[in-house]
Amino acid sequence: MPDLEGNMHILRLIPYFIKVSFQEEAAYRANFFISLFTSVLNLATGVLGIMILFGQIDSIHGWNEASTMALLGIYLMVTALRGLFIGPGLDALAGMDGEIWAGKFDFVLLRPLNTQALVSLRKWRLFSLFDLLLGLGVFILALAKMQTVLSAWQIFSFVIALFSGLVILYAILLIFSALVFWSPGVLFTWVFDGLFQMARYPMGMYPGWLRLVLTWIIPVGMITTIPAEALTGSLEPVMLVASLLLAAALFAAGTALFQIGLRRYSSASS
Amino acid sequence: MNLRGVKALIRGLWLSWMQYRSFFFVLAFGWMIPPLIYLLVWSTAAGDGSLGGFNRGAFVAYYLVLILVNQITYAQVNWTVGDLIRCGQINHILLRPLAPVYDALASEVAGKTVYLLFDLPILAILALIMKPEVTFTWEKVGLFLLALLLAWMLRFLWGYWIALLAFWSARADALLTLQDSLIFLLAGQVAPVALLPGFLQSAAIVLPFRYMVAFPVEILTGNLGRADIAAGFAIQILWTTLAAVLTVVIWRRGVQRYAGFGG
Repeated sequence: MPDLEGNMHILRLIPYFIKVSFQEEAAYRANFFISLFTSVLNLATGVLGIMILFGQIDSIHGWNEASTMALLGIYLMVTALRGLFIGPGLDALAGMDGEIWAGKFDFVLLRPLNTQALVSLRKWRLFSLFDLLLGLGVFILALAKMQTVLSAWQIFSFVIALFSGLVILYAILLIFSALVFWSPGVLFTWVFDGLFQMARYPMGMYPGWLRLVLTWIIPVGMITTIPAEALTGSLEPVMLVASLLLAAALFAAGTALFQIGLRRYSSASS
Repeated sequence: MNLRGVKALIRGLWLSWMQYRSFFFVLAFGWMIPPLIYLLVWSTAAGDGSLGGFNRGAFVAYYLVLILVNQITYAQVNWTVGDLIRCGQINHILLRPLAPVYDALASEVAGKTVYLLFDLPILAILALIMKPEVTFTWEKVGLFLLALLLAWMLRFLWGYWIALLAFWSARADALLTLQDSLIFLLAGQVAPVALLPGFLQSAAIVLPFRYMVAFPVEILTGNLGRADIAAGFAIQILWTTLAAVLTVVIWRRGVQRYAGFGG
């Protein structure tokens, strides 16, 4: 058993979190096939949407079918990673029967671990690994269709951009989840889900004012468009640096907001 | 018909829906986003030219009306009927001296009003910013309203018979997911039906999904010929009738085998 100090120990607990989550999920076996079906349909509608669009036009603001498809692959992989371990833990906080509203959050606070790390890592949905594979498939097929030999710089900037995109996603989710401490009934993460869908398409396809909002204010564009631009070689190095700085700033802001929110929590009932 | 009862039902459900309005506003927001994405993507793609007969302003007009129609016809019966059967709460409704369909209809009126309270201001602002291009004639508006009413009936009844499958299986979720995907692809959301590739377009014209959302929108904002409109109404009425028959048959059989578990 881990001792009472240090956040590093939570990493050792991850195998147990995974095991318990798997046991909980395995109790509902019929759900497995429904999830399978949903994932495949989700993939099919995404791919068909892009094929229909590019059936009418060859390229939109520099994006062609292959590069837009690569971006969809990134979107699907990022969504799958979120569903794998960050999403389930944070989603359980909000809503009418959520942990904050019902006071079940007490049991999270009582654990001798860093609360933010515990909330983020406690629940796993292993089925998302299948989604991850589907996303990877779309991504690889799209890369093959792009028919470009990637330079070392493109691969390097892609990996950095994807990493900073994932940190940005985590930070925004944390911020939206922390708002729950002020208003426990509102499903803030669902609002974010709606906005995040906009990351299915490159920011270049949106009007200028929206592009600015989605790049700097609610930066879902940074999560998928910047890595995709790194692959097509159209990424300005300054944007890569900007995305890393934004990731660091949002991570700090998200952590701070979550800590302030935690202090507002006063359990339920008397 | 028990009019006083129906009125009381609508009032009661309206009050209870308004109590949770933030939840329903979040739902309405989520439903609005996919058509909004395609509005923006298609209008950027059209640029200063036109695609398949649509210029930028025509895409904006098409999708703004589509968002409205999608919200008005949206089938929420899966929760208002399906969940009640699954949880056994339909017992209370079965005991009332009113046909249970009135309860679903009352939820329909109450819910749609709450959703539209959210949607209408946003659509008005979007229309001001994005400048749709469309000319309305009284004839178009009249046909639109008729098609909208039929579209709502079709989607309501179609959703109702699927929700009633809850009498047999606790989970008809897979069917609902499939239906959502088909509506996304074939009911004019991902693209106006006229812009779909051949086989999808033929499927859209034959299957019921276009007639739940896209058909009224095409009448109001597109340039459907008289023959297309007449054929559209014929198919729409056919599917609506079929959905009504299915609903009645499945309801009768379902209630007979329903054992009212839960409380």
